[in-house]
Amino acid sequence: MGCSNSSSPAYGEMSWFCCGSSWGPCGSAGGGACGTCNSGSHQCAWPNTSDACFNITRPDQCGEGLARRTCGHVFYVTSVCSGKCVSVSIADCGPDTNSFCGERSCCGSTCYTNRIIDLTPSAYSAIADLSTGLSPARIDS
Amino acid sequence: MPQPDRRRFLTSAVLGGSAVAGATALGSLAPEAAFAAAPKIKLDPGALDPNFAEGRITGISGSLLKASGSDRTLHRIHITDGTSIWKLHPTTFDQIKVGDGFYARGVRLPDGSLAADAIWVNIVNLDASIAAIETARLHLDHNGKRVIGHVVGGRTAAVYGSAPAVADLTRLQVGRHVKVIGAWRPDTNEVDIATVYSGA
Repeated sequence: MGCSNSSSPAYGEMSWFCCGSSWGPCGSAGGGACGTCNSGSHQCAWPNTSDACFNITRPDQCGEGLARRTCGHVFYVTSVCSGKCVSVSIADCGPDTNSFCGERSCCGSTCYTNRIIDLTPSAYSAIADLSTGLSPARIDS
Repeated sequence: MPQPDRRRFLTSAVLGGSAVAGATALGSLAPEAAFAAAPKIKLDPGALDPNFAEGRITGISGSLLKASGSDRTLHRIHITDGTSIWKLHPTTFDQIKVGDGFYARGVRLPDGSLAADAIWVNIVNLDASIAAIETARLHLDHNGKRVIGHVVGGRTAAVYGSAPAVADLTRLQVGRHVKVIGAWRPDTNEVDIATVYSGA
């Protein structure tokens, strides 16, 4: 599988987060739930990496039936706005989907709802502008 | 008229060693233009991205930024007239200061330096809860630490659920979980807020 060619992609919002060694308020972020997270690597956080993770993020409360995927699982994330795709591996639990149920991001007339994946700055900046903070995306496994 | 290749332009601008004029020939210098022009990234998932750098700026020499990565890697980053610069908002090279934090994306040159397509200075994306609200400040709890978020007139915006961004912050509530895009004030626990995202 790869970018935009799996049979059951997920659609939603992507954001970004910092992890690993960093500066400023990100300095306390640490290596994430998997212990390997690094802002300079192409990695992501996924809301359903374990029971403990799922109980925090609760994407089901927003109507999202996201599959259990664990550390190291690879996703292909395509930005709706740029059309660009990046491959990322799971390194953390997140985003906190149920805190933003119903939130929607659009690019032109294409809108997706709910935060379902966070990318590291290096991964997000490969396909989108960090200053946007939030963008609609397609996620393939 | 077709636009010149942005990356080739950036590389030649640096290697040419001269000031670059007429960058508008590349079209918009806004960050999103850099992504529209950038080639597809082919990199193993989980791998360090050679075309990305982060850290803090330790020196500025002409258009060259010297920086120390958070992992202590030393970086040299070339800024050209084609580089998109963000520091709370799109801005200019003279606003970059020693001590600033940054994320940068661009083209890695043979000498190991980076010709920047885009650089985001002091940018943060905080996952936080609102501890207190003042007229021009939000007190945020982030990773167990207090961060002060300053409201910047004419810049700070709020997004409530799926509604468009607005300047009205009165719907923010203490205890609410928020995400905050902003610019860190170096060596403090304070940020200037660009956008605060709050659930509906």
